[in-house]
Amino acid sequence: MTARGEVLRTPLVRTSWLERARGRPGRLAVAGFGAVVAALVLGVAFGTVAISPLDTVAILAHRLLGLGLPVTWSPAAETIVVDIRLPRVLSAMVVGVGLAVAGAAFQGLLRNPLADPYVLGTASGAALGAAVAVIIPVRVAVLEFGLVQVFAFVGALAAVALVYNLSRTGPLAPLTGLLLTGYAVGSLLAAGLAMTMYLSGTNLRQIFAYLLGGFDGSSWLRLAVAGPLILGGSAAILARARSINGFLLGEESAAHLGVDVRRERRILLGLASLVTAAAVSISGLVGFVGLVVPHLVRLVVGPNARRVLPLSALLGASLMVGADLIARLLGEIPVGVVTAVIGAPFFLALLRRARTGYEL
Amino acid sequence: MNRSATPPTDPLEGSFDSAPARVSRRRSRPVARRPRPFAGPWVPRLLGLLVALVVGACTSGVASTPASIPPGATGSVAPAATATPIPAATPSPTLAPAATFPLTLTDDEQNQVVLKAAPTKIVSITPATTETLFAIGAGDRVVATGEADDYPAAATKLPHVASFGKVDVEKIVGLGADLVIAGGNGFNPPELLAKLRSLGVPVLVVYAPDLPGILKDIELVGDAVGDGPAARGLTARMQAGIDQLSAATAALPHPRTFYELDATKEIYGPAKGSFVAAEIALAGGQPITTTDPAIFSFPLETLVSADPEVIVLGDAAYGTTPEIVKARPGWGGMTAVKTGAIRPANDTLVTRPGPRLVEGLRDLALAIHPDLVLPAAP
Repeated sequence: MTARGEVLRTPLVRTSWLERARGRPGRLAVAGFGAVVAALVLGVAFGTVAISPLDTVAILAHRLLGLGLPVTWSPAAETIVVDIRLPRVLSAMVVGVGLAVAGAAFQGLLRNPLADPYVLGTASGAALGAAVAVIIPVRVAVLEFGLVQVFAFVGALAAVALVYNLSRTGPLAPLTGLLLTGYAVGSLLAAGLAMTMYLSGTNLRQIFAYLLGGFDGSSWLRLAVAGPLILGGSAAILARARSINGFLLGEESAAHLGVDVRRERRILLGLASLVTAAAVSISGLVGFVGLVVPHLVRLVVGPNARRVLPLSALLGASLMVGADLIARLLGEIPVGVVTAVIGAPFFLALLRRARTGYEL
Repeated sequence: MNRSATPPTDPLEGSFDSAPARVSRRRSRPVARRPRPFAGPWVPRLLGLLVALVVGACTSGVASTPASIPPGATGSVAPAATATPIPAATPSPTLAPAATFPLTLTDDEQNQVVLKAAPTKIVSITPATTETLFAIGAGDRVVATGEADDYPAAATKLPHVASFGKVDVEKIVGLGADLVIAGGNGFNPPELLAKLRSLGVPVLVVYAPDLPGILKDIELVGDAVGDGPAARGLTARMQAGIDQLSAATAALPHPRTFYELDATKEIYGPAKGSFVAAEIALAGGQPITTTDPAIFSFPLETLVSADPEVIVLGDAAYGTTPEIVKARPGWGGMTAVKTGAIRPANDTLVTRPGPRLVEGLRDLALAIHPDLVLPAAP
């Protein structure tokens, strides 16, 4: 931890907004909630079809609150707001929460600033699963979940399980072992993905679309299945913020602080992987959010996981919804591109403003 | 937009056109440059792959397509091919019953499409079906098209609701569409088509693996919009045109013909059993194809040993000229290059499975037999 208090209390040093914000996590949380609500409103209000804000509000009040308003809108407008935009915005929100929290958990757990939700092979596993599902000439759909979503979910979890078990038996220190095994397994799965894509024929476009990620296939049913997994897993991670704080000091220190290192590591890895797998199964591989959002939050509030995790969730949700809205308005460009284009310059600017040393 | 940058226009073009090669190459670049400052271990691998996928895209084609080319229409014995008229679906137009709504149709991907009344707001998102709708007089009921739908001129003025790999579900619902006609075999994302169906919009998926299938699809589209008789009139004329061309080329020698889709990096041409191969046979050539329906690329050695007598440049619209072909290293030994029998063809007409197919066939026949005098089209 740096000399945060000193900087704040030294009258001769002009503090930047960044440092002032550090002392007021409550205000940041309120701002975060505000950003989420704003993103929700904008995400539902805008799209390729213009629907007046009054109608949008009336439709939502009519359908969600059951108000018996006079129907002044067309049935198409109602379908667009209720069955297209709302599930899409909420899916983006939930996935944003999941990836940001999982990213923060992986970074803390592995004590590596380059860690993201995909670091232990989740992405390669999910991608391979989705690609295999695409080329299998069987079409099954249960509750609007096709093979792609199911295989992506299973592939992601299987990849992490493989990485975890392989790394446990090796001679390396646990963290190094996990990272290197994750890299190796990820490379192997990527080779499998390459071969699958090569063999995929005209289905290549579908695989490609999955790799780029996006929310245009969102529906209420998918959200109803994946949402609880993601939000429940994220909440469970949030509840373990103390363990993550322990891991930040190093595993040995954590053990001295009374953290059951092996057990907590296993649980946190499992939770973060579950959240990531559920997220990528409905969104495809959206990059960048899980990596950068926790860093952005840490730059402002410092490394305490009790603050980093919930604020990451809020920022992840609003960033993802905003990025999806921009992607939609620009003609369905890949949402991962938007998150990177928004996130990277912002991240760089914050890095330059951080006066005190930045640490994980 | 540069013609070469437009997405492949429809399922069959997606299979046979050189466009997919170009498109995927172009599309993969921005992805490869996507800023990932802290890319995880999988990222470089994945992005590396996308480059390799140019190959995948090009060999994509009809991997899952049954090669149900009519017997004799393809293959190496070309004269037999041309002598055999294509057993196409040509019911006489007079017998066609006027479609009565409500109507249930089975589309090319075995979906049951229920139409309560004749559609009045049609969205067509493949170039071929858009052409078909305008050709059978249903153009005034088309409210939106795909970005690649460039013919006829009236169609280009309509709003676009689909482009490569995308369908704007919201816009289609907002337009109040009562029928969406889309491309099968992955041309339009199946997931988004399913989404449309779940919102109550009827979706008719069209995909023809061969020439008779193209004519059948025109009739299917006609039935769906309540213009079955007009569609059957059109297919009867097209069949007459095909028969006429077949008769005109039957007695001619059939030179070994290579239809070049792309050769800027690797060499791409028609796959075995593909409908372009069948077209070449009809147009009076002996098609040089790959050895497998799913493979579209030719190693140069294979092409040299196949020794084409005619090279038809399907990629002429992308700037390939006979001079460029002659200058390629290793190509000088081919008979076509020695005799200068390298001629362009209109790739859009040849590979788009729509009402202008016969024009494409005639173009192809003239590229293979430049001295041929064709009778006026029926």
